Amino acid sequence: MAVPETGMSRRLMSWARAKSPWITVYNSGACNACDIEIIACLMPRFDVERFGILVKGSPRHADILIVTGHVTLKQASRLRRVFEQMPEPKYVIAMGACGASGGVFHGLYHMMSSVDSVIPIDVYVAGCPPRPDEIINAVVTCLNLMEEDTAHGGKEWRQKKPAPGVDTEGKSCTVAS
Amino acid sequence: MNRPVTIDTITERMKEFGTAGQVRKNRIRMKTVPEKIHDAITTSQAMLGFDRLITISTVDNGQTFELLYHLIGSDRIIMSLAIDLPRDNPVTPTVSDLLPSAGIYERQIHDLFGIVFSGNPNMKRIMLNEDWPPEEYPLRKDWKPNPDVFYGGIKGERS
Repeated sequence: MAVPETGMSRRLMSWARAKSPWITVYNSGACNACDIEIIACLMPRFDVERFGILVKGSPRHADILIVTGHVTLKQASRLRRVFEQMPEPKYVIAMGACGASGGVFHGLYHMMSSVDSVIPIDVYVAGCPPRPDEIINAVVTCLNLMEEDTAHGGKEWRQKKPAPGVDTEGKSCTVAS
Repeated sequence: MNRPVTIDTITERMKEFGTAGQVRKNRIRMKTVPEKIHDAITTSQAMLGFDRLITISTVDNGQTFELLYHLIGSDRIIMSLAIDLPRDNPVTPTVSDLLPSAGIYERQIHDLFGIVFSGNPNMKRIMLNEDWPPEEYPLRKDWKPNPDVFYGGIKGERS
């Protein structure tokens, strides 16, 4: 479906997207603790479906991608493919210490340096693993970001300006809110 | 097998393969040679009831590669059959025809240590990424990542 460019239908779509974000979880080589915390989110105690947050199996149906864990060399191309399959506008949450910097796995022989060397990250969640309420908070942060992006008309306003004289070719770096 | 397997039974039945030693109460270790590992596993399966393979572990002790086949039977005694392989030509016959679960361990050891299991029909990569360079075995003790070599993943963004 083509995204309507202007007017009422666009506003309706962005409103609907913010009210019911669909999430897909991708484990790029994590230890499964983050995945268990996400499952704890879905369980009745935290019950994210009351916010309209729904976990989908396919990235083609999802608005937000949660990447749990560091990225191994084997997973790097697959993670990028998953990211490219998501429809625009898409948002990525890097989960846990591994998602931010590689965590205890940083610098190993089979590792990418971090998740944001493969795909652009919008929100980082700290913790090893993060608690379910922190995950919910990250998704809510992501929704606020989504609304701001809609008001600004795109993600470009968050792009970090390159410092004068620094060659940043091929690097996409966004400021985490 | 009504009576439990003891170190004496194993020493008697498997004396042509090597000497057995009791490591702990339920752990028995036997050193043998790569040419006899196939027969040793056949014997321990048929006569002693060690019919399940727990894992194959590999130790790089600097001079040789030491392979340990951990077998367990119904009476909860673990027998570890150990073989030594030279570093320059680590080749050993496969045991995946006797123990089908050994095939996947052998592929992993082949991937990470470069040990060749001759006769294994499916000796290809299982753990490392598909574009990992050949002749690089990351769990060998003398292996260091070469900064000039591209190890796969996405170009120019490695840690």
